[in-house]
Amino acid sequence: MARRRSVVRRAGAGRRIPAGVVLGIVLVIGALALIIARVSNSGGSDAALQTGDDAAAVAGRVATGPARASESFFQRIGRMWNASDRIDQLERENRELQAWRDLAERLAERNARYEALLRMPPDAFGEGADVEHSIAAQLVLDSGGPFTRTLVANAGADHGVRVGFIAVNENGLVGRVVSVGHRSSRILMLDDYNSRIPVMGEASRVRAVLAGQATRPPELITHPYQIQSPRLDFIVGAQNLREGERVITSGDGGLFPRGIPVGVARRQGDGSWRVALSAAQRPIDFVRILPYMGVERPEGDPVESEGPPASSSSSVAAIGRETMAPPPRAAAPTPPPSTQTAAQTPRPRPAPPQTPAATPPSPAEPAPAAQTAPAPAEPQE
Amino acid sequence: MTSFFSAAPSRRTLRLWGLVLAVASVILPALPLGPLFAQPPMPLAVLWAAYGWAAEDESGWRAPVALALLGLLHDQLAGGPYGLFVLIYLSAYLIGRVAAVLMSAPNLLSLWGGFIATALLTVVIVTIVERVLLPIAVGPYAEAAAITALLFPFVRPLYMSGAPSAWSQGARR
Repeated sequence: MARRRSVVRRAGAGRRIPAGVVLGIVLVIGALALIIARVSNSGGSDAALQTGDDAAAVAGRVATGPARASESFFQRIGRMWNASDRIDQLERENRELQAWRDLAERLAERNARYEALLRMPPDAFGEGADVEHSIAAQLVLDSGGPFTRTLVANAGADHGVRVGFIAVNENGLVGRVVSVGHRSSRILMLDDYNSRIPVMGEASRVRAVLAGQATRPPELITHPYQIQSPRLDFIVGAQNLREGERVITSGDGGLFPRGIPVGVARRQGDGSWRVALSAAQRPIDFVRILPYMGVERPEGDPVESEGPPASSSSSVAAIGRETMAPPPRAAAPTPPPSTQTAAQTPRPRPAPPQTPAATPPSPAEPAPAAQTAPAPAEPQE
Repeated sequence: MTSFFSAAPSRRTLRLWGLVLAVASVILPALPLGPLFAQPPMPLAVLWAAYGWAAEDESGWRAPVALALLGLLHDQLAGGPYGLFVLIYLSAYLIGRVAAVLMSAPNLLSLWGGFIATALLTVVIVTIVERVLLPIAVGPYAEAAAITALLFPFVRPLYMSGAPSAWSQGARR
């Protein structure tokens, strides 16, 4: 009897779920609830993350101090080791660069004359961004995880940083501020899986979307906006993109200012394009955070007598018209067929003061357009 | 001095080093120390801890709580969302519990196979989360999980002894 009772007890004990497993299941359910709360965009999760970023930023700065110091120390040691070789190499490069500088000065002077002839506005860095009031910050944390590619900088709302500001370093674009704490801000990097940025080739003016791939170099998707606009047939697309061409932000969409260097286009073996990021040439340590709030939404009550028709809101059509070299018939524009929509009608321009502006440039030269027209003229009715 | 180095470390010491390694694998990728410390290629050492603690700490509450805290810390340092790494680590713990019950006479190969299956199932869980809930990159996580699985035999003594109690329980059952 006693033996039977013990057997029963043992069998019952075997069926009982251990406390650790129960707790594990409960915590898994809690984790799922947290993820779902994040998906449903509850503000509490973001606020907690930003508060945690503030604390982690302080800890990260302290923790990386010795590493940074030792890194610079070993770099100095390494440079001393091969100092004479480096001097020889630098002298050689200096001689070559002097020749290149003479050539660049001549070309710059010539280019300036052409621009004066065409009355082109200067190709500004980050049009619309408040470069003078940029905020310098040091990066103290790197997400480094498999899912996201973000950085934490030690400047936050107390320093004037806001969500949407642009982070650049001395080489180019790093990313965009996506959350801000009091003393820290989190920057979504260009190679994050969720990063999509409108860019264009600096010389070819081919527009593309830069899509982050987490750990691999960002991929260029070269088909985007032109599909909807039949007037952009002059654009030949990705085949115009050149290997090694500089890629800059196009400003489309209004999230990024135009003209910030992003990287260099590289063609892959399978024909796809990727960008070697300029900002990744060396470890990113300090960043400048540029105030930029993008393009304001158009007001609900537009002025009817000014600006383009409401149906021509696609900036792509306008930009494409202005950026691409005009076809031969552009010298004597013919009225569009009546079946065209208002979006497809060309924006009228002021009469060029000089005849060379109307002549098409040589195909070998880059199209003169990346710059927007100085001011849109009154539409001809 | 010689005896200090030649003496085999106790189980407690090994477990402590295992915990240190797990915490380091959470913190080091967050520091701007270069691509070598990113994940991948750095292994997800907390997966080892989850698998090993599931085998050794059969009914305690410390392992799931420690894993949840490590997951929250990892979520915080990686930029969120909260709950993702908690889900992964606790899933690995629960899968490890099932593996501990299923294996009757474990050896190094079967333990390694069990860990590979655990890592694979966490990749499946991440894929489900990616499909259903969040736009996240599964590929880099799969790479990190694969590296973690490859390195498992080298770190196994830090997380599980030769004859863990859960294995023997599983064998009795």
